Amino acid sequence: MSQLHAVPLRARTLGALAGVSAVGVIAFFWPFVVAPTSIAADHATDAPWFFALLLPLVVAVLLAEVSGGGADAKGVAMLAVLAAVATAVRPLGAGVAGLEPMFVVLLLGGRALGPAFGFALGSLAMFTSALLTAGVGPWLPFQMMAAGWFAMAAGLLPQLRGRAEIAMLMAYGAVASLLYGFLMNLSFWPWALGQGSELSFVAGAPLAENLGRWVTFNIATSLGWDIPRAILTATLTLLAGPVLLRAVRRATRRAAFDVPVRFETVESVTSERA
Amino acid sequence: MTETLTLLTGGATVGAPRWLHPGAWWIWALGLGAAATRTTNPLLLGLIVAVATLVVSARRPQAQWAGAFGVFVRIALVVIVIRVVFAMLFGVRIGATELFALPTVGLPEWMAGVTLGGPVTAEMLYIAVIQGAQLATLLICVGAANSLASPVRLLKALPAGLYHVGVACVVALSLAPRIMVNVRRVMLARRMRGRPTRGLRAAAQAAVPVLESSLDDAINLAAAMDTRGYGRATATTARERALQATLVLAGLVGIALGLYAVLGASGWGWLLLGLGVVMAVAGIAVAGRRIPRTRYRPDPWGLPETLTAGSGVLAAIAVMVFATTSLTVPLSWPTLPPVAVAAILLAASPAVLTPSPPLPWRTS
Repeated sequence: MSQLHAVPLRARTLGALAGVSAVGVIAFFWPFVVAPTSIAADHATDAPWFFALLLPLVVAVLLAEVSGGGADAKGVAMLAVLAAVATAVRPLGAGVAGLEPMFVVLLLGGRALGPAFGFALGSLAMFTSALLTAGVGPWLPFQMMAAGWFAMAAGLLPQLRGRAEIAMLMAYGAVASLLYGFLMNLSFWPWALGQGSELSFVAGAPLAENLGRWVTFNIATSLGWDIPRAILTATLTLLAGPVLLRAVRRATRRAAFDVPVRFETVESVTSERA
Repeated sequence: MTETLTLLTGGATVGAPRWLHPGAWWIWALGLGAAATRTTNPLLLGLIVAVATLVVSARRPQAQWAGAFGVFVRIALVVIVIRVVFAMLFGVRIGATELFALPTVGLPEWMAGVTLGGPVTAEMLYIAVIQGAQLATLLICVGAANSLASPVRLLKALPAGLYHVGVACVVALSLAPRIMVNVRRVMLARRMRGRPTRGLRAAAQAAVPVLESSLDDAINLAAAMDTRGYGRATATTARERALQATLVLAGLVGIALGLYAVLGASGWGWLLLGLGVVMAVAGIAVAGRRIPRTRYRPDPWGLPETLTAGSGVLAAIAVMVFATTSLTVPLSWPTLPPVAVAAILLAASPAVLTPSPPLPWRTS
């Protein structure tokens, strides 16, 4: 069964997704590649702020491309409502970050409506929930990027149906929410520790050494939160996934995204029938 | 006091209550925050926090999101505590004034061979507190912007190319509270039927009616938007579309390559990065030409906005030029650089020079 795309996946949309993801990868993983002579190595605590100003621009470019390039009123309405649902259920999550129910909504939205729509949904849902709780801070651009990837990848997974699909989504939800926590740690790793602690990254050091420090930082800070979150996300996907996925798919069929709109004169229609 | 201020400002700038342009608050706050990243002087950092607190207490509107400031202050305090704890456990042992010693624990080799604990010196603690205070000051400035600038008015200022996304955002912001009410209603219905209202299974089952009704809302909303001409785009020529695609893609590639070059310490990285940013911005502007619309009652940018934004930028420049410091061992007493102090104090002027926000029943 072919997948439905709320936003048509054209070559230029794919190109924009790839370009934005490339910038995002650099914004997260720069501590592993930075040269010791680079200006970013001297200003390691300032660099995340620089990326926090740059990322909104590239996400805005993508959103303009996605919404201007083929999403109609139905796409905008579906995006708005799913983002509202994700925003509304965010406070229901357990723990400090409390993201599990929100992740399930993003997962199913990206799954049912395609990768480009998924990215827009993930980043927009993070943005609106931050606005509603007035939590606009330097972490927000990184959260938007990571949540966009989270929902986008759900749309890129193989097209299975039935129990196999739910099992795949459960496994993906668990792994991806764990990765989300690791990525967020990575974004503020240089910022929160500064340089000169034994867990800070060392510019130009071998990859294995910096990876070891990063993993230790993860274990020292948030692994205790991340593992329960992964289990909860998988459990919620198992319990609510099948019904919710059906509901979203039914709604997208009713919205008829892929049907091309044609305007014809009445004469030609009647002459075809005759 | 009020008479003097009215005299000073000619009575014209303060005027009747109105919303200040949200962009002005953000520029002001980011300017103060940028000043905080340049100095390690605890007196200046304290002054910046005091100025931000003063302006927030004077110009905070009576709205739900205005409570953000307190939340950000709490996060800022947590940041300082985290910094100090990490310095004590993992920090590099510098300085001679030993206060006490923590027991040492060696971690295994695969965890980077880190040693936990060790002697704790006054210098270490001071450096950790100051670095934490820099971040905390910056966060407090961002919190000030959060509680001063209206989020919905910020969305109104989005460029035309992001119009559809802005619409989706505004709709989501106004729908989310209704969905929360829906969740509560479904839970109440479950309780009346004797079904469990706690636990994962209850949450999963309650999600179905909530999502179903929201998706119905979405389809009705789309129909309503279609009939009112939302989501309408004018026809564009193939050349315009090609121009936009080229600008967007080349801009993104330029940004990515430029960043990579900057990280690799190549000289031309900044040039490429700047070029990429310009092209990406131009791409958004070209995309905006497809969406014909006019702005309903745009927020004006007047003298108070210029003064507010300017005072923030001035504080950033003054601190960068006259008070840029870094932490050194042995420690020395902080001094008060007069120009930087004056510029930061000037950044408190929006507390009186801006119009006060309208009262709740007049909010838009």
